[in-house]
Amino acid sequence: MYDVMILGSGPAGLSAAVYASRAGLSFAVIEKEYMGTGQIAYTEQVDNYLGYCGIDGYSLGEKFREHAEALGTEFIEGEVTELSRTDSGWKILLSDGNSFGARTVIYALGASPKKLAIPGEEEFAGRGVSYCALCDGAFFEGRTVAVIGGGDTALSDALYLSKTTAKVYVIHRRSEFRASASLVKKAEGTSNIEFVLEAVPLEIIGEDSVTGVKYTQNGTEKTLDTNGVFAAVGSLPNTAVLSGIAGLDERGYVIADESCVTSAEGLFAAGDVRTKAVRQVITAAADGANAVVSALGCINK
Amino acid sequence: MPARISKDEFDSEVLGAELPVLADFYSDSCIPCKRMSPILSQLETEYADKIKIVKINTNFEKELVEKYSIQAAPTLILFNKGEEVSRIRGAAKKDEIITLIKEQI
Repeated sequence: MYDVMILGSGPAGLSAAVYASRAGLSFAVIEKEYMGTGQIAYTEQVDNYLGYCGIDGYSLGEKFREHAEALGTEFIEGEVTELSRTDSGWKILLSDGNSFGARTVIYALGASPKKLAIPGEEEFAGRGVSYCALCDGAFFEGRTVAVIGGGDTALSDALYLSKTTAKVYVIHRRSEFRASASLVKKAEGTSNIEFVLEAVPLEIIGEDSVTGVKYTQNGTEKTLDTNGVFAAVGSLPNTAVLSGIAGLDERGYVIADESCVTSAEGLFAAGDVRTKAVRQVITAAADGANAVVSALGCINK
Repeated sequence: MPARISKDEFDSEVLGAELPVLADFYSDSCIPCKRMSPILSQLETEYADKIKIVKINTNFEKELVEKYSIQAAPTLILFNKGEEVSRIRGAAKKDEIITLIKEQI
């Protein structure tokens, strides 16, 4: 029986591990991805985490992990399939059949990229449809690609792809971007990036691989010729196992304030899974600290 | 750790190999590829006399990328007696790879 079981090894989970270790608690981190560090690893450059201006996301994640490891963190590989209340706390069941008991749980499973949910997406996944510009951008050297989305990820992806491809279209359903002003300005000033605004993607078309995207704009159906489609339409919180256990908002985020206290006793939500205004590495790291302090309060009760 | 091979070695090391060969088409900037690395090293040890594992850097081996229509990193292709027998596009779990390997050994 652990004092705290931390679910997730992104910045929130790793920060919680550091604080749990310093608090002298018995704890472990359960992670789906072997040696993972969460979504941050997939960010090309992080300019807004204090002390590491310009670092790439992978390296920043590795630093977090090394820190947690240096303080003796035990990592368990596995996917959480079920959480249930017990007399003494929580039972955590993994997909491989293993289960663990803990007095408290810090739920920091983050979010995953949202699908486009249009025809052709599944069919051409890995054959022109990608969710990772850093991974697959190089296969489109000198070709035309389309990024779908209007947030920070979409514009960062477009800027990254613009360095090696001939042309990058950014297809976005609104006229304004959610992305930060600095990214929008950079993209506007990049000659091979073109915005296709108020455009709603309908279908990804192709034969052996992608050849284009069908979309509607001002009520007219159009087709854009492209060799690749990079989806960056936001993310969905990984909270399926919490349904019926803790209060979720209408978008699936765990309802909790800065204390990370949820509607379920002894269960604390940290990082991108929690209802919050700013989903950034720095707020995830802060949540890890707050969640451990709240868990301590629960353990000492 | 699986050896990196170039296109010049591909015919002899992969297509002409006695054992089934798992070829990992990876790229330098790809995080899932980095995450796959320790898993492939484990498999190389665990299946040492049953299969061979090689790595192909897609940033440098454009001809092979073209030939095998690689559009996602990592892409894992399992070859047996010179023929492609299965392919996984994107990162894979160790168990998924083991399932494919077991079909060939």
